[in-house]
Amino acid sequence: MTRGRIKFILAIGVIALTLSYLVYGGVKEAKVYYLTVEELKERVPFVYKEKVRVSGKVVPGTIRKDIDGSLEFQITDGKQTIDVQYRGIIPDVFRDGVEAIVEGLYTPENVFNANVLLAKCPTKYESADSLKKGENT
Amino acid sequence: MVETGTISIFLAFIISLYTLIASLVGGKTRNREFIKSAENGALAVFFLLTVASASLIHALLTRDFSLKFVASNTSRDLSTIYTITALWAGQAGSLLLWSWMLSIYTVLVVLFNRGKSRELMPYVIGTLAAVLCFFIYLIAFVESPFERLPFVAADGNGLNPILQNPYMAIHPLALYAGYVGVTVPFAFAIGALLSGRLGDEWIRSSRRWTLFCWTFLGIGLLLGARWAYLELGWGGYWAWDPVENAAFMPFLVGTAFLHSVMIQEKKGMLKKWNMALIVLTFFLAIFGTFITRSGIISSVHSFAQSNIGPYFLGFIGFILLFSFGMFILRLDDMKSENHFDSLLSRESAFLFNNLIFLGAAFSVFLGTIFPILTEAIRGEKILVGPPYFNRVNVPMGLILILLMGVGPLISWRRASKRNLISNFMYPTVFGFLTAILLFSLGMRETVALVSFGLCAFVTATVFIEFYRGVRVRSGRGERYVIALFRLISRNRRRYGGYIVHLGVVLIVIGITASSVFVTQKEATLRKGETMSVGKYSLRFDDLRQYTTDAKNATAAKLTVYNGGKEIGVMVPEKNIYKYEGNREINQETEVALRSTFKDDLYVILANSDGNGKGTASFRAIINPMVSWIWAGGVVLLLGAIVTMWPNPKEIREESAVRYTVGISKESSVSG
Repeated sequence: MTRGRIKFILAIGVIALTLSYLVYGGVKEAKVYYLTVEELKERVPFVYKEKVRVSGKVVPGTIRKDIDGSLEFQITDGKQTIDVQYRGIIPDVFRDGVEAIVEGLYTPENVFNANVLLAKCPTKYESADSLKKGENT
Repeated sequence: MVETGTISIFLAFIISLYTLIASLVGGKTRNREFIKSAENGALAVFFLLTVASASLIHALLTRDFSLKFVASNTSRDLSTIYTITALWAGQAGSLLLWSWMLSIYTVLVVLFNRGKSRELMPYVIGTLAAVLCFFIYLIAFVESPFERLPFVAADGNGLNPILQNPYMAIHPLALYAGYVGVTVPFAFAIGALLSGRLGDEWIRSSRRWTLFCWTFLGIGLLLGARWAYLELGWGGYWAWDPVENAAFMPFLVGTAFLHSVMIQEKKGMLKKWNMALIVLTFFLAIFGTFITRSGIISSVHSFAQSNIGPYFLGFIGFILLFSFGMFILRLDDMKSENHFDSLLSRESAFLFNNLIFLGAAFSVFLGTIFPILTEAIRGEKILVGPPYFNRVNVPMGLILILLMGVGPLISWRRASKRNLISNFMYPTVFGFLTAILLFSLGMRETVALVSFGLCAFVTATVFIEFYRGVRVRSGRGERYVIALFRLISRNRRRYGGYIVHLGVVLIVIGITASSVFVTQKEATLRKGETMSVGKYSLRFDDLRQYTTDAKNATAAKLTVYNGGKEIGVMVPEKNIYKYEGNREINQETEVALRSTFKDDLYVILANSDGNGKGTASFRAIINPMVSWIWAGGVVLLLGAIVTMWPNPKEIREESAVRYTVGISKESSVSG
């Protein structure tokens, strides 16, 4: 093996190591558990310390918007329900019954303090159920 | 018309299958009749899919609500232009568009290569026909755009209001042109593997196609970012969402391919590597379509989910196995004609550029499928958010910018000290001076200093290249403007490439400034009150409600001051669309944007009281230099056009042998 070869192998090794280090550090720093409401409850009390992401349906009628932009609502997976508190930009799609994704910390008072709120935005809605039948057909 | 469409799609499937078989037989037996017949088959498929697309557009325009697709994506009150764009608002229509575009590409490939590369072309057409078969099968038998409802709907669901935006009308088209276009270089690669003609014939013939689809992928991504910025109302343009990543990954690997083919063309190296890269690019394009359409990874944009997921998975498996098998079979025919001499050489700069692009693509891939991986391995869904992607991709991006300055100027084989000094001394000094100047002006963010310094370095290298070229020409008595014009037109590939690089520099400057130096503020104001954000202050004057045919709008009027001087009025809106229950999304935030090359003032009406007491809450964001990103996109497009522009001299040279190492070495030393 020539000296030139070894240099190349070293350089490629450095790139690969740097990448692995960045990926490892990135995952460690940015990992978030993605749970359903039920899984969240199962993980009490360990879950209180961890940043988690929870998804569930917004319980109709529970949305309370304050004028200053703070928002409270409940999400459910059909069995269990949690209260969510959030302040920030509310996605346009957010409303009763949509699938909401919240990220933040869960507290022992059964309140989820979210700093991220996402709502699933269907690019389109393709269900025949929602179509009304024509009058004369 | 509907029957016409259904029948056309069915016939198109049969004929694409025939084209596949005829071209393979033609390739094997070298029988001209079969090859000719396959070429005609490709034309017929194009014709039939054009008829099918036209019938679907006709059904959309005439509001044929007996069709599920029409009823789901339009409504009676939808404007004509958005009625046509509804063609790609839904899944079945998107798949039809995919197939139709691919048939256009196929016909163009056939027409441009008639009589050329007789051994290679049948297999290229065969590969294109195989991909066509798959997509036409989906619209013929799985997701028909002409599926009927059991009844005729009175009105349609309407097009999602956030999709009613000019950028959303063209963004999918551009992105599709890119996604679908990747099939062409892939087909040339597979054609080369099948025919055994593994020289650089396939690369030379597919070069323009690669550039073409790469440009569209890039422009498609930028248009999507601009749409998100204007329409989604959260103040940013990129969120590392799986759907965004899906489009970004083929772009990254495609960029690597675009660069490494130059090494094969000039030096006959990296043959296996190029083959692997284009297969990977195509795989990622199909994989991207798969993850956006199958809903396997939860995304904020969950497109309509359906049962086409397994088909895509099967198709992906087939592509990978087949390409890999052919690759192994032809391994001996892809021997390198040269080897790497020195770390300080153009070959190495390109090699590292490739490794980093691939590394970035891998990290994005890993981050995107992380929830699936962890669920499979540990039974827990763990995802990684934007911090992961930024942490990995920002350093990679910075090294790539450095290489973008180094690659085009460093000598082939082995850079001498003289070459390094003459090409890089001024740019390096200029880069450092820029960083020092910004530091002394008070900038302390390391990432921004490094990024701006590198951008200055690259700009200087490009400027010196243009300067030297123009000086040589003007020394022969040409006027400067003419010298510049001739310089570019005599070597479009090289100077077009530099222009593309300048576009990338502008984009990087915009991304750096707007992600590092954001200022934002929220406030709840009563009428007459003022909020200030950065150097701007905003006075809340009025809250107005009005109704149009389509929506109930709440509009806030704000007067904007810049350091005490009135500069205009901004009106952010919150709209509630009518037909409650008829559309999934009925609310829309209309952002007010005041954009200059210095910064964007981005104002969102977050909330307002319904009973007209005149209180409202706002979020105001100052995004510095976002416009540079869009301007960079325009420059990038211009550069790409210059590079792709047909060149009579080059067409004559096409058959000539590739540049010898000696000549290219000489020309790069002399600059």
